[in-house]
Amino acid sequence: MDILDRILLEVQKPARYAGGEWNAVCKDWDGVKVRIAFAFPDVYEVGMSHLGLQILYGLVNSRPDSLMERVFAPWPDMEEKMRENKIPLFTLESRRLVRDFDLVAFTLQYEMTFSNVLNMLDLAGIPLRAGQRAGNYPLVIAGGPCAFNPEPLADFFDLFVIGEGEEVIGELLDAYQAGHRRGLAREELLLALARVPGIYVPSFYRVDYNEDGTIREVAPVRQEVPERVVKRVVRDFDRAFFPVRPVVPSMGVVHDRIMLEVLRGCTRGCRFCQAGTIYRPVREKKTETLLKQAAGLVGHTGYGEISLTSLSTGDYSRICPLVTELLGQHGRRGVNISLPSLRVDSFSVKLAEEVQKVRRSGLTFAPEAGTQRLRDIINKGITEEDLMEAVTAAFLAGWPAVKLYFMIGLPGETMEDLDGIIRLARETLARGRSAGVPPGRLRATVSASSFVPKAHTAFQWEPQSTLTELKEKQAYLAGRLRGRGLVFNWHDVAASFLEAVFARGDRRLGSALEYAFRLGCRFDGWTEFFSFERWLEAFRRAGLDPSWYAYRRYECDDVFPWDHIDTGVSKQFLALEHKRAMKGGTTADCRLGACMGCGLCPGLAVEPEFAGGNGNAIV
Amino acid sequence: MPSYRIQYSKKGPARYVAHLDLMRVFERAARRAGLPLAFTSGFNPHPKFSFAAPLAVGVDSEAEYVDLELSDVLLPSEVAKRLSASLPAGIAIGEVHVVPENRPALMTMVDRAAYRVEGRLSGTLTDAELESAIGDFLAQPEVFVERKTKSGQQKRYDIRPGIFAMSGTVKGDIIFLEMELKSGSSGNIRVDEVLSALQEKLPLLLKAGGFAVSRTGLKFIPRESVD
Repeated sequence: MDILDRILLEVQKPARYAGGEWNAVCKDWDGVKVRIAFAFPDVYEVGMSHLGLQILYGLVNSRPDSLMERVFAPWPDMEEKMRENKIPLFTLESRRLVRDFDLVAFTLQYEMTFSNVLNMLDLAGIPLRAGQRAGNYPLVIAGGPCAFNPEPLADFFDLFVIGEGEEVIGELLDAYQAGHRRGLAREELLLALARVPGIYVPSFYRVDYNEDGTIREVAPVRQEVPERVVKRVVRDFDRAFFPVRPVVPSMGVVHDRIMLEVLRGCTRGCRFCQAGTIYRPVREKKTETLLKQAAGLVGHTGYGEISLTSLSTGDYSRICPLVTELLGQHGRRGVNISLPSLRVDSFSVKLAEEVQKVRRSGLTFAPEAGTQRLRDIINKGITEEDLMEAVTAAFLAGWPAVKLYFMIGLPGETMEDLDGIIRLARETLARGRSAGVPPGRLRATVSASSFVPKAHTAFQWEPQSTLTELKEKQAYLAGRLRGRGLVFNWHDVAASFLEAVFARGDRRLGSALEYAFRLGCRFDGWTEFFSFERWLEAFRRAGLDPSWYAYRRYECDDVFPWDHIDTGVSKQFLALEHKRAMKGGTTADCRLGACMGCGLCPGLAVEPEFAGGNGNAIV
Repeated sequence: MPSYRIQYSKKGPARYVAHLDLMRVFERAARRAGLPLAFTSGFNPHPKFSFAAPLAVGVDSEAEYVDLELSDVLLPSEVAKRLSASLPAGIAIGEVHVVPENRPALMTMVDRAAYRVEGRLSGTLTDAELESAIGDFLAQPEVFVERKTKSGQQKRYDIRPGIFAMSGTVKGDIIFLEMELKSGSSGNIRVDEVLSALQEKLPLLLKAGGFAVSRTGLKFIPRESVD
């Protein structure tokens, strides 16, 4: 019995490392020219719930000249066994060593996975810093939302891919092969790759700081690379590659169902939301395309549930005909439809009613703030009437419980806004009682996350509330959201603080991150492993003050560490949005017709794409 | 509605699929195979699979059984063919036959399971020494192991009555053991319990944790005794 199989008998959930799932692709190692390991810096169950992995996996493996295999962060029990037995990080498909691949491609979904990135490199036997990887080591690359402020990780990656991957991955593979054929040395190869639009090679950029520690300038050190790296946007989203043979895990994972992406982008313009900026413009797939993809997915996966995913699925212009058709085609075979992101309105509840026959769990709505004033500041375009109509409709339709998502620590927040959250929760319960929900089953669950200022948003200039303030606000809510039917959930403020540090961080944070990894930080997104003390020690050793990053209020004309990364949305527009926010002014969704001037469409020569029709007509 | 008894093997990467996940694996395979599944009624219908006996994670098996109910009649060979093409790596379909109606649940019919164990020795051992150690082991009137009850308490449990046969051979530094153990809903003996108890009779000779275990067969209660 080989040593790995022996170890697998000694760890929890060995299926995480076993591979062999349905639709997993094992290609001939020697039959291809480029080999990529897709590295997800979290546990298997989380990574396998990520649609981006399935897209890139299907896409790369559909190329005869390339292969992609998967690797996830080993759970701490497995890491211990691997280190004890000197087993380097390996991929699931072929059990080959990650360091034997040509490219190791990480996806950066969340700041709190950064320590896992370093740990995985270390387990793979790959030097952590890009500058130490001369010779035969793989190129270590990354994409995903956190690549839009790549600076805290700049020292560890050879290159970042900014924006949507479907087109640029092919160009990257082509350029890599061309460079390889020409026998380019590592630096020249990187230079060739830096010419591919959307590719950012951090070592070709120099960062100059002002005396107060802020950024003076980020400038190219080689004339061949662009001053600003512009994000990639898939031109024809409807015809873009979409995998109908995704890997189907054999063990339970977080999102264990078909993920059918119906649209990409969201132009509602919530001012805290980074996704709203980086995934612009809005592009909807044609209904026929979606039906075809759904049929393929049902047949090739065997899943009993289709989740219609996007940032805001209720916004899909032909949502009703789509849902009706999908139910008609697949409902009889025991396939259900689910809608993970509901808008706060009664239309969305009607839609959920249509698709969900079982009403065991609650419906979730995200009003985000407790008063109209604050909802206007954040540009969350919903009213209290919308929310009350929605929860009433949910209770009347038979759901006994609803979940309400809020944020605390938003710019401009006062105690009245916290009281507003309490009032909305109580009013929700009152609506439930009037709707006749049995008191024993009636429940309103309030979740309050802490606001994290993110790069490329209207609130990127704003400081995060202090740890003390956030804790006090949580305690205030916890003390008042009590009583029959009320449940209050909150998040660890220390984790949100670190998220804020890295979300607006610069290159200097790399050393703190490395110390944190050396001190044993892993799985920081998991409360059972997160240690704020260790992180604070890491910052002390690095000589950096994390609160300088999290609590900083930027001046309007300050240079951000991420200013050389171009999302297509202009900084001027975001500054204007910031100004409007402070005055409580709102901005409409450009989906409704009028252009709000974010600069994206002319800048990137793109346009929103809609499926047409009036989706809000109830079936 | 017609029921089919499906024999399958579970090896390779599939041996790490936990018992509770198997239902999901088979349900998806059946849907990919286009089999007309019969569902339970109620708010949360699920397909009617019934597995013979749970297999510990990491244990290979050559002969597992599951009963599956369909809503239409298909030839057993057709069920076998379609399922075979739709299962993940490591699960292979053997024989499929129709189960007559009103048979007792598969689980209640399982009586014994046969296992083969392979392990690496950390010292020398002859076949004769092994035979005598096994003899001593089986000569014990009682073999107590510690078991955790559902409430988390430790309980002493005599596994000896559930050990029906055991034999072994040595080839170089590899030891092979065969054993037949009580299995099923009326009592179940786990291989690892037997191995750790046996280690007391074969001190220092078996390297802990390095056993490859395969289930080689399940034995059912003879039909006449249940009918």
